[in-house]
Amino acid sequence: MALLEVKDLVKTYGDRNVLDGVSFVLGEGDAKVIMGPSGCGKSTLLRCLNRLIEPTSGAIIFDGQDVTRPDVDVRALRSRIGFVFQNFALYRHLSVLENVTLALTRLKHMPKREAEERALHELDRMDMAGKRDSYPAALSGGQSQRVAIARALAMDPRVLFFDEPTSALDPIMVREVVTLINRLYLDNVTILCVTHDLGLAKFISDRVVFLDRGKVYAEDRIENLLARESDPVIDEFFCGDG
Amino acid sequence: MTFVDILLVLLRGAGYTLLVTLCCSATGLVVGLGIAIARELGGSRLAWLLSAIVYVLRGIPMLVLLFLVFFGLPGIGIDVSPLPAMMLSLGLIAGAYLSEVFRGALSAVNANEVLAAQSMGFTRFQTLRLIKLPQMLRFAVPGMVNELTTVLKFSPFAYTVGIAEITKQAMALVATTMRGIEIYAAIGLLYFAIYRLLLFGVRLIEKHYNVPGFAQE
Amino acid sequence: MLDDVPFFADLVSYGPQILRGLRDTILLSVTITVTGLIGGVGVFGLALSQNKAVRFATQSYISLFIGTPLIVFLFLLYYGLPSLGVTLSPFTIAVFGFTLNVAAYNARYLTIAYKGLEQAELESARAQGFSRFQVFRLITAPQSLRMSVPALTNQAIQNVKDSSIVFLIQYIEFFAQMQEVASRTFLFFKTYAFTALVYLLLVSVVVLAARRLERRLAIPGIG
Repeated sequence: MALLEVKDLVKTYGDRNVLDGVSFVLGEGDAKVIMGPSGCGKSTLLRCLNRLIEPTSGAIIFDGQDVTRPDVDVRALRSRIGFVFQNFALYRHLSVLENVTLALTRLKHMPKREAEERALHELDRMDMAGKRDSYPAALSGGQSQRVAIARALAMDPRVLFFDEPTSALDPIMVREVVTLINRLYLDNVTILCVTHDLGLAKFISDRVVFLDRGKVYAEDRIENLLARESDPVIDEFFCGDG
Repeated sequence: MTFVDILLVLLRGAGYTLLVTLCCSATGLVVGLGIAIARELGGSRLAWLLSAIVYVLRGIPMLVLLFLVFFGLPGIGIDVSPLPAMMLSLGLIAGAYLSEVFRGALSAVNANEVLAAQSMGFTRFQTLRLIKLPQMLRFAVPGMVNELTTVLKFSPFAYTVGIAEITKQAMALVATTMRGIEIYAAIGLLYFAIYRLLLFGVRLIEKHYNVPGFAQE
Repeated sequence: MLDDVPFFADLVSYGPQILRGLRDTILLSVTITVTGLIGGVGVFGLALSQNKAVRFATQSYISLFIGTPLIVFLFLLYYGLPSLGVTLSPFTIAVFGFTLNVAAYNARYLTIAYKGLEQAELESARAQGFSRFQVFRLITAPQSLRMSVPALTNQAIQNVKDSSIVFLIQYIEFFAQMQEVASRTFLFFKTYAFTALVYLLLVSVVVLAARRLERRLAIPGIG
């Protein structure tokens, strides 16, 4: 049984179907990337999976449970998913360490010392333990993203969601973050990543779910997708303005 | 007394309320501009003195200053009638607040434009008059509107020196009709209505003087 | 200055009641600052409600209290409540009236600060699994408060000055006592000048405290 199964997911805004029947499967240990042209619905898709956005119809089976049902404990669901945002979204009034321990103490009700140990372990994994008392404003983009990943990992999630993790970074920092996510990928962390960065995709996943206008246009290994030069949509994305 | 009678009495008071508000606001504007300009053109000692005066005016309650002016000055030989007393208290305090608003607005004027004017050969005074002040006034609009409404909200205290504005009329009415809740609720709404009208009026004037490309709040 | 001696002698002889008045002014100012702040945070929370009706009611309340003179509301309570059979002490009326007024202003300042918050941080908190109330308590409120410190401390200063109006509803605080001193000694100018000076000192104390608070509470890295 797969960790995450999405079946015919639909999200309608007004008279437009931003998601028009999306289906795919994410097994435990899998790493998949969601790509597609602007407006294809990839960010919406990610946010539907943890119900930050309410899907209009369809099923999302997470750990054997259909989480689109109204009686689902959404907050519990969300604490099992690690979400890393494009602009890092670190809590600017808290130090690096506090950013990571906040959910541990307030949601998992861990005692402070245990939470700090756990937090430092993940920060160390991201090479950010030395900055534990710094504040987000003092960090570079790459450092911020690393703290954001540590914050997500500290909750021991079943899967990591990334929403354009490198889009707000300059090229050097991009390499920094790609290396780190690659390490997670090699450690068999389950990953679902939305991005338009092909370099990132190659380093952190096995397969690409290619979305176009709300539908899964194709799902395949990256090399295979890139080889489909004759396909107009894929060609336009990767070679046109890709 | 019928409802209409009451309303008429209150509206008579409204005339005085507006008079007090406008006179004190005008005083505040003149004083505030005066201080702002003096700070720009004067030396550092004058600026220091003005800062001290502004600090004092912003640090004492309006009623205390009003009583000092209206009841205190006669004691040292200066007789003050009610409206001037309001202008010398509420008006001066408004002037102090406005001088701070203008100070902020002045510093928001583009430094490059000032440099351009100076390199063209304009004197400090000309630069002030032709470039800084016009822009400053537009930047200062939100602060000026805020101060205007504040003056309105302090205008009721004019009754303590005998001016027959809305609150005084209300107190007289309550004394005769004993309908405290209705009357005070009514003047609350009346003040609110005047407040909204003032805001609306200012928006209209703003639109009239709108300069394309100038930053709006 | 020789003719000031009688004035200072008068001050001393009226000393006890003047000090009582001063104590009551400080008591009122501190009380309404605290209740106004707590109330302000509460109203701010309501202004962010998911419920449209609650939001509308809250905004109307804020608009109404910001747009009307405080003294009118105090008169409404002081002269109006007795006819409803409710008798409250002037102090209680003052605290109640001021709290509603000050809370409205504080809520407005907090709402302005809220507009400067990074919405992604709030979304991230929701994504971590925090409830709406937790997001408010842990992220929204702390950040909004710390970004509003100048406006909130300014309000505290205003509270000290505005406390002087309560003599009009028969709460005998410092200004009321000084008015009595003035009317007994006929030294109106000196008495009121002294009164102004005392308020200036009180305000200065708050200004100093405010500056220290601003330094301590500023969010590192953010203006």
